[in-house]
Amino acid sequence: MNLQIVINIIIALMWMFLSESYTFSTFLVGYLLGILLLFVLQRFIPDSFYMDRVIKVIKLIILFIKELTLSNIEIVKLVYKPKLDFEPGIFALPTELKSNWEITILANLISLTPGTLSIAVSEDNSKIYIHAIDIPDVVESINDIKETFEKAIMEVTR
Amino acid sequence: MSGTWINLLIDIIISLSLLTGTFFIFSASIGMLRFPDIYIRLHAVTKGSTLGIAGIMIGAFLFLYVEHGIVSGKLILGMIFVMVTSPISGHMISRAGYHNGVKLWDKSVRDDYAEAVKEKRKSIDN
Amino acid sequence: MEKALEFTQSMITVVTLICIVVIAVSVIMLMYRAIAGPTNPDRAVALDNIGVNLMALAGLMAIVLVTTQLNDVVLLIGILLFIGTIAIAKFLEKGVIIERDLD
Repeated sequence: MNLQIVINIIIALMWMFLSESYTFSTFLVGYLLGILLLFVLQRFIPDSFYMDRVIKVIKLIILFIKELTLSNIEIVKLVYKPKLDFEPGIFALPTELKSNWEITILANLISLTPGTLSIAVSEDNSKIYIHAIDIPDVVESINDIKETFEKAIMEVTR
Repeated sequence: MSGTWINLLIDIIISLSLLTGTFFIFSASIGMLRFPDIYIRLHAVTKGSTLGIAGIMIGAFLFLYVEHGIVSGKLILGMIFVMVTSPISGHMISRAGYHNGVKLWDKSVRDDYAEAVKEKRKSIDN
Repeated sequence: MEKALEFTQSMITVVTLICIVVIAVSVIMLMYRAIAGPTNPDRAVALDNIGVNLMALAGLMAIVLVTTQLNDVVLLIGILLFIGTIAIAKFLEKGVIIERDLD
């Protein structure tokens, strides 16, 4: 993957020298051409095409923004509700992710889903403690939310 | 002629994004006043303020770009920075509050973390 | 057509002023929570949110004054706010900000 990025930058620099205009936009055009060349020639280059991973990262970011917007609307609904009749509480969510990076991203994503806020991570990184605004609502839906997040994170990091 | 229409549309988009941003920030403050304990207040703050900042920064960026031709990436950077850091600070403060002994709201129904904290205290004492 | 454009441009000014007033009110509400808040973490959260509101105010002032000078201010407030909040949280949790013996 590192080799591919280096090749891509070299192609972009070559494009800049060939067209004899040393501006950022020429570099960008060269970079795009390099991506195209790498895509066409991916059979002859070691490792898989690196844009695959970039696309997965972009998908993760889009997921992040979608959840952020939804949770904002949810919390605004709660703020202007005349009666505070929800049942908050803290529950433990077991997770399969291991490394510190993955746990950090998962905790941040959980903080931004509607009605949940990660409070702490257990000592052996096996559980995340989550404060939920409305426990009966959240416990039902948390499992499939967790699975989508874990899948998206694993695709990026592994 | 078509340029005027586009300017008109962009002006309306700027006003709308400014208004939505302000609305979300204001709701976060109201939640801060209304909600009963710190954990629920943190819900309001960490979520409400991010989208509020996003709306206002996008409005300011569009305004400076369209009306005066100034591209200022710092506004977009500030927006992304708040988006990334607000869940982290929420996590830190809620954990600090729990270890400081701030009680949950009376109507809370469940607390799994209490046992973990108790066990940890016991192991430290031994 | 020209009149409509003038109207929308004056509308942006009015909307910006309204936004500034509303955010000022919300800062006052947060000041109440920062002074009266029952526990110390409450005050920390209120201060954090006041900082976010200040960022929004700086962005709106950039629209009113039509400068790029305030963009640095927005970014700086954001960074200092994050560091300050983390420091306060660590102080409340452990009593120290920088731990000497890392375990």
